[in-house]
Amino acid sequence: MKKRAEAIRGMAFFGPALVLLTVFLFLPMILTLVFSFTDFFALNPKLTHFVGLDNFAQILKDEYFRKAFINTVCFVIIIVPLQGLGALGLALLINKAAYCKKYFKVAFFLPVVMSLAVVSTLWMQIYSPEGILNSILSNFGIAAQPFIHSASQALPSIAIMSAWQGVGYQMIIFLGGLQAINPALYEAADMDHATGWQKFKDITLPELKPLCIFVFITITIGAFRMLVQPMVMTGGGPSYSTYTMVYDIYETGTVNWEIGLASSMAIIFAIFVMILTIIQTILTSDKEGENENKKAKKK
Amino acid sequence: MKTKKQKRNNWILVIIMLIASLFFLFPVIWMLANSFKTDAAITSDMNSMAAFIPPALDGSFFDNYITVLTNTSFVRYMTNTLVYAAVLIILSIIVNGLAGYALAKINFPFRERWLMIIMLLMIVPMETIITIHFLFIGKLGLLNTVLGYILPMIVNPFNIFLFRQVFISLPDEVYEAAQLDHCSPLKYFFTMVLPMSKSVVATVSVFTFLNVWNDYLWPSLVFTSGDLLTAQIGLNAITSNENTTMGQTLAVITMVTIPVIIIYSFFSKQIVEGVVSTGSKEG
Amino acid sequence: MGFIELKNVCKIYDKTNKNAVTDFNLSIEEKEFIAFVGPSGCGKSTTLRMIAGFEDISSGELYIDGTKMNEVAPMDRGISMVFQNYALYPHMTVEKNISYGLKNMKVPADEIQKKVDWAVDILGLQEYRYRKPKNLSGGQRQRVALGRAIVKNQKVFLMDEPLSNLDAKLRVSMRNEISKLHRQLGSTTIYVTHDQVEAMTMADRIVIMKDGVVQQVGEPMELYEHPANKFVAGFIGSPQMNFYPVEVKGKELVFEDNSKVTLLDSVADQLKAHKGKLLMGIRGEDIKLDAQNMDLYNKDKQKAVVDNTEVMGNENNLYFEFGGVTTVARVSKYEVSKIGDSIEFVLMPHKMHFFDAETEKAIELQYE
Repeated sequence: MKKRAEAIRGMAFFGPALVLLTVFLFLPMILTLVFSFTDFFALNPKLTHFVGLDNFAQILKDEYFRKAFINTVCFVIIIVPLQGLGALGLALLINKAAYCKKYFKVAFFLPVVMSLAVVSTLWMQIYSPEGILNSILSNFGIAAQPFIHSASQALPSIAIMSAWQGVGYQMIIFLGGLQAINPALYEAADMDHATGWQKFKDITLPELKPLCIFVFITITIGAFRMLVQPMVMTGGGPSYSTYTMVYDIYETGTVNWEIGLASSMAIIFAIFVMILTIIQTILTSDKEGENENKKAKKK
Repeated sequence: MKTKKQKRNNWILVIIMLIASLFFLFPVIWMLANSFKTDAAITSDMNSMAAFIPPALDGSFFDNYITVLTNTSFVRYMTNTLVYAAVLIILSIIVNGLAGYALAKINFPFRERWLMIIMLLMIVPMETIITIHFLFIGKLGLLNTVLGYILPMIVNPFNIFLFRQVFISLPDEVYEAAQLDHCSPLKYFFTMVLPMSKSVVATVSVFTFLNVWNDYLWPSLVFTSGDLLTAQIGLNAITSNENTTMGQTLAVITMVTIPVIIIYSFFSKQIVEGVVSTGSKEG
Repeated sequence: MGFIELKNVCKIYDKTNKNAVTDFNLSIEEKEFIAFVGPSGCGKSTTLRMIAGFEDISSGELYIDGTKMNEVAPMDRGISMVFQNYALYPHMTVEKNISYGLKNMKVPADEIQKKVDWAVDILGLQEYRYRKPKNLSGGQRQRVALGRAIVKNQKVFLMDEPLSNLDAKLRVSMRNEISKLHRQLGSTTIYVTHDQVEAMTMADRIVIMKDGVVQQVGEPMELYEHPANKFVAGFIGSPQMNFYPVEVKGKELVFEDNSKVTLLDSVADQLKAHKGKLLMGIRGEDIKLDAQNMDLYNKDKQKAVVDNTEVMGNENNLYFEFGGVTTVARVSKYEVSKIGDSIEFVLMPHKMHFFDAETEKAIELQYE
């Protein structure tokens, strides 16, 4: 009957996607989970054993994974305020600018269109010891810096570069948010003799709050997934100072073929990213509750 | 109604921002200016303002570009990437679009549950399973083939969800009218649903293109040698070659960026819409 | 057997397990113009969609031209349909919209051209032929939707509230056009509307529905003059019919406020046979204020004070309290009354309708 015909049609339409989802998402996810409890070694699969939580125990003790984890967290700590606040600041300034608005938007957005591989290649030249950045700094009387060639500076250098590359993207999001604020709010504040700072603190920031949460968590997730920059620029060095979690997963799984171990790392990594995503979803989708909270506070 | 003081402040702000933007863009300006220079000129200009000024427009102005285009496989890599992107755009519109349409408009068993699953899949980071993809493609003997590169990239929960969100607001009456016009469901999808949803089709196309164009990890795993490389991997192959000069490197990365600039200038609206509706897509 | 035959057609929705349509029986002749009318949610659109094939028929049978259609796909039922929101294909020009179905039916190109020319011509769409729907006004869109339906030469024409999105003036002119089109094409038409005026002015027969149940089927004037129950009496006609709870005492009709009106002898006799409480209904135009009727029924003159008036231009509606009920009288434009005026009026005794107060069914009366 009609219902059955519709069910068949639905499955026919959904079918191709379902097959691919099964092969390239469900199955890999299940296998990752299963492998994470084994010592699966792709070059010799016959010797696979169930090892329980051994992999996880090993990872927690593993010096390189620890290093990769700390590096990733450091990267997050540097880049999130830099890129997030930078984007917010730029958006506020551009929103205020009376002239050349379009030019500013394009100028600060331009690095976004460059791929990570391009940006990394370019900044390798810029960060080079005899490079243009050192030459500029010398004009300000600053001695030449090693940047990506030193274990202490490499990670911050990459973080600054990544923030430079990504800041325009979030700036556009913030600009959209600023333009969505009802101008009547500012007019009302003018009537109440509010100063510029008060208007920013009492109107702009609260109105942008959901967007801020969204943007900051987006940057955090992106930072957690960082890989291409060290791959192109430093190979994870010097002395593993730019080795990240994803880099470790990649090397363990596809270079050393220790799929079991790599799967366990991937699980740990996925848990972090998924928790962040869930927090983001909860915080940004609950706008109504937030408004009610505001009202309650006022009372 | 602006006071003189406000007007002056406006100008000061704009001038400060103009200077700031130049500082911000110095890597890009330097890249462009020096992509036309020989390595000797790049080094000698390094300590003066000349570092940010292109050389005189003479016969050797485009030498770096010409060398890259003629002496390396750069053109090949660019064409490869464009072809992969085109194929993936078509496949991903068909596969994800049909699925999104089914989830939006067709009443089939467990539809709501499938939708939930698709939404849950959106939060799984791809890096988690890329090792298994690599293993699969290897086991299928598809390493270093175009098929092996494309297969795992077709289906995309974000795109399915995006399509579903748009299709759900299409009026049912149009489908009923089309039925009376002897239009089969599949024909309806291609001749009605997609043309009525041009905006989301454009959004998905643009994101698929950017994804293919900018992707680094997956193509670097699948393509082990030569002819099949994408632009991003190819650019690494060219620039890490000892014979490539710094000027040529800058020319390569400039050219790799041009298609993306074109895409952005034509589709900025779709990109902004996509950013807002899919959330953390770009990461 | 009629051209379209519905036998005990029911619609039950799985989820709510409620009857959307109950035991719908109707026989439609070829070339007839039938209107389904009723308040929103009465099941009229659901019935139409079952005829079209967009909704499953839960039980009962549907025949079109002698063939059982319950399991037949919409496109094979020999129908064409005009939708409430037009349902035009937004990315196609007017011409493409109209010809799309013909193309899919593999009609030869020159014949398509001829038919489209004819439809465009008959609907006055020449100028708009190459425009897209978003560049058309509501009335023009409606015409394109009509065009799309008529070119296919189907035997049955279904219309689902086609005029509800148009403004009042346009609605009147489209009403005429659709009637004209129906006369020209002679296709059997089922027209769903919530507007009783549309139903009255256009249809050969009207089907009135409420809560999924057919209340009455009949020609417009039959429904107007002989409503089968209180719902039909109240639904058809504007302003609404006045209803009074009444008692019959001898030859007199007694209202709740003790006003009395003398009944016709025959009516009084027939009403005596009825057990139970009564409702009397009378239309606004059958409450008279003019001198001639006042003279005729002068012993039953009633008095009231006007609460409100509606000046329509050609006539006036007067509102006042009578018989414990707010009453409306429809009077000619020459009988001017202001709010607060005391008026005298009479109720035409042979224009009264009587209903059982419990069942609300009409009590059939023979007027002599």
